[in-house]
Amino acid sequence: MKLKGITIRQRLMRVIFWTSATVLTLTCIGYFTYEYLSFKQNTIKHLETLGKMTAANSTAALAFENKKDAREILNTLKADNHIVAACLYDKSGHLFSTYPDSVPAQNFPRLPGTDGYRLSNWHLNGFQPVSEGNTRLGTLYLSSNMDVMYAHLQLYAVIICLIILIAYLLAYLLSRRLQETILKPVFSLAEASKIVSAHGDYSTRAKKYVDDELGSLTDAFNNMLQRIEMQNEEIKSFNLSLEKKVRERTNELEIANNVLKEQKEFVETIINSSVDTIAVFNVNLQYVTVNKQAERIYKISKEEIIGKHVLDLFPSIKISGMYTDLLKALHGQPVHQPKYKSIVLNRYFENFYIPLKDVKEYVYGVLTIGHDITDIIEANEKLQIVNNELVKSNLELEQFAYIASHDLQEPLRKIQVFSELTENNIHNPEEGKKYISKINSSAKNMGDLIKAVLNYSQLSRSELEFVPVNLNNVVEDVKTELELIISEKGALISCDTLPTLPGIPFQLNQLFLNLISNSLKFSEKKPLINISQRIINGHELNNILQGTGGSPVQLDAKRKYMELIFKDNGIGFDQQYTKQVFTIFKRLHGKREYPGTGIGLAVVKKIVDNHDGFINVKSQPGDGAIFHIYLPTE
Amino acid sequence: MFKTIPFIVSLKSALRFTLFIFLFSPCLAKAQSISKEYQAKSTFLFNFSKFVTWPPSAFEGLESPFIIGIVGEDPFGGYLDEIIAGQKVADHPVITKRYKSAADIDDCHILFINHHDSILVKEVLELTKSRKILTVSETKNFTSMGGMIAFHTAEDIIRLDINAAAAKEADLVISSKLLRLAEIENQ
Repeated sequence: MKLKGITIRQRLMRVIFWTSATVLTLTCIGYFTYEYLSFKQNTIKHLETLGKMTAANSTAALAFENKKDAREILNTLKADNHIVAACLYDKSGHLFSTYPDSVPAQNFPRLPGTDGYRLSNWHLNGFQPVSEGNTRLGTLYLSSNMDVMYAHLQLYAVIICLIILIAYLLAYLLSRRLQETILKPVFSLAEASKIVSAHGDYSTRAKKYVDDELGSLTDAFNNMLQRIEMQNEEIKSFNLSLEKKVRERTNELEIANNVLKEQKEFVETIINSSVDTIAVFNVNLQYVTVNKQAERIYKISKEEIIGKHVLDLFPSIKISGMYTDLLKALHGQPVHQPKYKSIVLNRYFENFYIPLKDVKEYVYGVLTIGHDITDIIEANEKLQIVNNELVKSNLELEQFAYIASHDLQEPLRKIQVFSELTENNIHNPEEGKKYISKINSSAKNMGDLIKAVLNYSQLSRSELEFVPVNLNNVVEDVKTELELIISEKGALISCDTLPTLPGIPFQLNQLFLNLISNSLKFSEKKPLINISQRIINGHELNNILQGTGGSPVQLDAKRKYMELIFKDNGIGFDQQYTKQVFTIFKRLHGKREYPGTGIGLAVVKKIVDNHDGFINVKSQPGDGAIFHIYLPTE
Repeated sequence: MFKTIPFIVSLKSALRFTLFIFLFSPCLAKAQSISKEYQAKSTFLFNFSKFVTWPPSAFEGLESPFIIGIVGEDPFGGYLDEIIAGQKVADHPVITKRYKSAADIDDCHILFINHHDSILVKEVLELTKSRKILTVSETKNFTSMGGMIAFHTAEDIIRLDINAAAAKEADLVISSKLLRLAEIENQ
């Protein structure tokens, strides 16, 4: 029986049908069997009775071999029209008399069988002993047909069939009726459920028919629906109020958002219009944002760097110290870096590293502000240079003032003295002449001195332009200027071919003039001056200068310098005075020994300084001096 | 019932057999000599005991036998004895007795009178009257003489004539079953 796809009604029908069928069939079978058995029993009993009676009656006939009587007695069996055959056997088992006459003798059993009745060939046959007293006189055989029984059973079958049919019909009708009581509530529930699930209509209710389990199910169902309906209403109204609240909040939020947006834009504008670079990092030192200035000067875009780690973009900050400062700030310590040299940009910044803290004082980021102070620094440096120059100048001035006052005092004193003497010896014109000539020479000396000083002081460089100067020509000019002394002293000046350098022609002239004249002056024997040159680069020069304790500044390694080697065989001086010889007015020897203002080498040095060069000297007393002059070739 | 004689090959056996035949022939002859009629009659004689009721006074005790007597010549041979052997009538063992004369007749229950002479028959009948004896004979007119049951053979069928009154007189009740078979003569 396939259970799928059939309705409840059909199912119920089938159940009822099969139940009734089973019951009826079993009942009928039972009854039928009972009837059959009892029928058979009755028939046998009947036959037995008949047999006994007939046998009892036929004793005499058998005892006295009275066939006539035997036949008469057998014929009484006619009364029972179901006896189809009967016969009597004598005590030897021979057939004695038969009934009815129409049945031939050979149809009867040849010999009497065992006593008793049994069903064979649809007939009930049996043998009944004929005895009088305890003497067996013979046997009676009876054969009865079962027509009655079969007829009866047929009738039964027909009746049973009829009953079954009627019963089925009734069962069907009844079940239809009864089904309603079960099915109607079920259908009602099903219908209601369908409506609910299809249309979501929770106002529907199932109809209750009877107050049984189905009824209580219907009630429960309806209760459920009611509750759902109510809850739905609640939910709906709640939803509405929620929506309203949401709308209100959204409005509020929108307004707040707009305000925030304006504020944000305002702040952004401020930040972006700052001339300082502003960058914000998170705790992982990843960029959160940078302002326009930062974008501009680092030539990056905000989108490129946001989220990236600072070291990924600017690894050099580990060297420059910014990284350390950032870490300090991350630990909550605000850092102020007054002078920071950016390796990336080659500019100077004043950096502020400000830790950003939340309400709980946890650092969540770092704000860095970089204020470009390159111009200030440069200006400062320039100031410094100027300052240095001023200091130098001041020093020189001091020296100059000291020495000038000192050196000038002497001739002035001489003038005073001799003036006084003249005054006192006015009546002595010869003495007076001597004195006046002394005054004259002193005045001349003073004049020379002042002139030299003026000359020295005029050796500035800032306004003068450098032009290419052929040093060979300069040397020739100088030689020409000093030809008198040269020939007087019989000096020999040998000079290599010198290059052309950028310089101030007048000053370079003065340089060679002073050097050569110095050498000529400070010589005992025949002066031999040798000028040679070679080209070296800044790096080499650095090494040389470091060796001699010369320049404090690292020179550009690539810059080319001419090394001028000026060798003389003059009187020389002690190495301890190498610095002093270039000091203005510092004289190592008395005026009487060697005349001069003591300015010459100072002038040379100043000129070399003006040309961004360097000078040093090596000397031994009596062994002449070797001047090394380094001048840039471009 | 008739023994079939087997076919004998050897003379010796044949001789033996003929000897056998001769030795036993009297019995056989005897048995055979009793005709079917008398066999039947002896059966009937015994069977009468079934269809007739003797009063209790006919027996001395429970052990006393039921006697079938024959007066006159015994026509049944040993057949009657064969029939009654081991039989009982109402728990009384059955025996036969043979009487030479009527005077010898003592207490028997069935008496077969084999006298052809009617005077002799009457004599017996007189003697046995009211002695509770069922008198049976095949003599003519037995019943009219006062005998109770007479054998009457006609066309190979043994008929019975019964004198019910005579029996009644002797205090014997004859079953209606038996009466039915017979031609009744009431006297």
